[in-house]
Amino acid sequence: MAAMSDPAAVEVAAPTWDRFPRRSVALRHLDAGSCNGCESELSLLSSPDYDLTRYGFSFTPSPKHADILVVTGVITEAMVPVIRQVFLQMAAPKRVLALGACAADGGIFVGAPGVLGSLAGIVPVTVTVAGCPPSPGDILRGLLAVTDHRDPRAFGEAME
Amino acid sequence: MSTIVSPPPTRAVHTYATAASWLETWSDLREQGWETVLLDAHQGVEALLMGPPGRDRDAHRSPLVSLRLAAEPAPQRPASPSGLDILETLDAEMRIAGEEPDLGWQAPTSVPVRGKGLFVYPLGPARADVAESLLYRLAVMGDEIVQLDLSPHFKRRHIRQLVRGRSLLDALPIIARFTTTSNVHHTLALAMAAEAAWDVPAHPDAAATRVLLAELERAVSHLGDLAALAASTGLTVPQMEYLHLKETLLRVNFALFGHRYLRGMVCPGGLNASALPVDADPVPAAESVRDILRSASAIAGQLAHTPSFLDRLYGAGVVPPSAIRQLRPVGPVGRASGLALDVRQRLSYADYPPDLRVPVLSRADAYARFRVRVDELEQSLDLVLSRLSAWDPARLSHLAVDARAFSGPPRSAQGVGVVEAPRGLLAYRLVLDADSGRLDHLGVATPSARNWPVVPVAVANGNILQDFPIIDASFGLSVAGWDS
Repeated sequence: MAAMSDPAAVEVAAPTWDRFPRRSVALRHLDAGSCNGCESELSLLSSPDYDLTRYGFSFTPSPKHADILVVTGVITEAMVPVIRQVFLQMAAPKRVLALGACAADGGIFVGAPGVLGSLAGIVPVTVTVAGCPPSPGDILRGLLAVTDHRDPRAFGEAME
Repeated sequence: MSTIVSPPPTRAVHTYATAASWLETWSDLREQGWETVLLDAHQGVEALLMGPPGRDRDAHRSPLVSLRLAAEPAPQRPASPSGLDILETLDAEMRIAGEEPDLGWQAPTSVPVRGKGLFVYPLGPARADVAESLLYRLAVMGDEIVQLDLSPHFKRRHIRQLVRGRSLLDALPIIARFTTTSNVHHTLALAMAAEAAWDVPAHPDAAATRVLLAELERAVSHLGDLAALAASTGLTVPQMEYLHLKETLLRVNFALFGHRYLRGMVCPGGLNASALPVDADPVPAAESVRDILRSASAIAGQLAHTPSFLDRLYGAGVVPPSAIRQLRPVGPVGRASGLALDVRQRLSYADYPPDLRVPVLSRADAYARFRVRVDELEQSLDLVLSRLSAWDPARLSHLAVDARAFSGPPRSAQGVGVVEAPRGLLAYRLVLDADSGRLDHLGVATPSARNWPVVPVAVANGNILQDFPIIDASFGLSVAGWDS
């Protein structure tokens, strides 16, 4: 059976080495025009099958508590001020994870009116997770890449 | 399993020259109990009407009629309206469809509430843990919710504009991303509309697999909604159990069809067998589905005996009778409000058994919506098991995307497809270019667009702020399907 995981899904855009928490990391999710596929997969990270809390991750409703901003969707113009505001409200050090094909480059919606298709110039993206939608396992890899500055899969390959 | 393959429901089209005669027929049929769905009001007004069951010669199936107004709408109020109710309903449907032609009539808009001690609690577009963007404005007096205003438009992707001018097969991947948690039904409705327009019936071998795909999608959607409802009442154990079942079923989807959300399988003319994995094995899949069915029934049974859960759901978020009458909610929300509409039973498309049982409750509260979903989940998993027992992917290999059959001049420039999506009635109307067969215009009536206007009236109905997350979760609507 083919694997659900995509080996090339996680892309670390800007490896930064300043101090960032690795043990207790709060996530703030923001939908910027998704088809609800990414949300469905993201909500499964809480399930016993993935249990994101064992890696120290948790979801928070408040941007003030958040360390990582997880953005899904095509990036609509209407959401740009909201994304900026939420990122501004987060305390440093902070990171941004662009989740799914739409947040990465607009995916199939490039050219639709009011769709920017990119977070460039709005907030700095640390890690991108490709996939439509990315599987929960790939999302977890992306989150670990945010805190560890590298895709855990690459780490596993180096060990072998 | 049932082997009856029903022919696609025939749809009579009545065209009217004047708006007054259109409106008269529309309101007459509506008063006789016909279900109405406004499909479009831009390129001529078109409404789909579904007759009450049992009137057709074909005992179980409903007659399907399209009322089309050829001319641009300049309708006048009919001289003797049978009651404002009908016009308010039409007006509500126009708003729900996002299409507001000048019909010479506007229902009164909601009045902003004002008063001493009133506090407006803004929630969104960034809200909750993992949620779609939507702005709620809850006006509260103490604990009681006095009014709820919803503001969408944050996540508009302009799907209808984006597909304009594209060929059907180019539009298909976009339609499959309308709402991913019901993408099978969106592509199925588009496929059925195209099959009607080009007069190319779906391959009969695809019918059972279409039902299999549709019911897997419904079961995944209902499991997610039930998990969210358990979470809203603070019960983490059933939430985790439901989430685990959802993940297990998504893995069954992947093992059988190579995609966790079953995307890319349904196509006009039948099924895209090239996307089927070669090693799909229905036997372990059926075993998993049986386990899920057993566990889901056990969790629901325990919830039905958990007073802290029942206390929060009983009598919470009751949809007022006037809203049921005028807005006619669809899907589990409608069926929990006494409206026995299920397109699978009314039109028995694909190879749904015509004697499909439809669970209907009339309490119209959060508990009824929970109960209806629990029953439908079990029914869906039963349907999955019955289709899986005779499912052989090797016998489907001859099915493929037929690009030639659905390009070029269509037999009819318009086609309509109606299905029962996990959240309710979903209708697609295609208007095609007569020469090239490209999409000229797309009309979509989604269940979420129809049901969202019911949420504010159900929330501001004697509930307190603490009830809001539970009522919101009990509706289980998607924002992507409304704010598209």
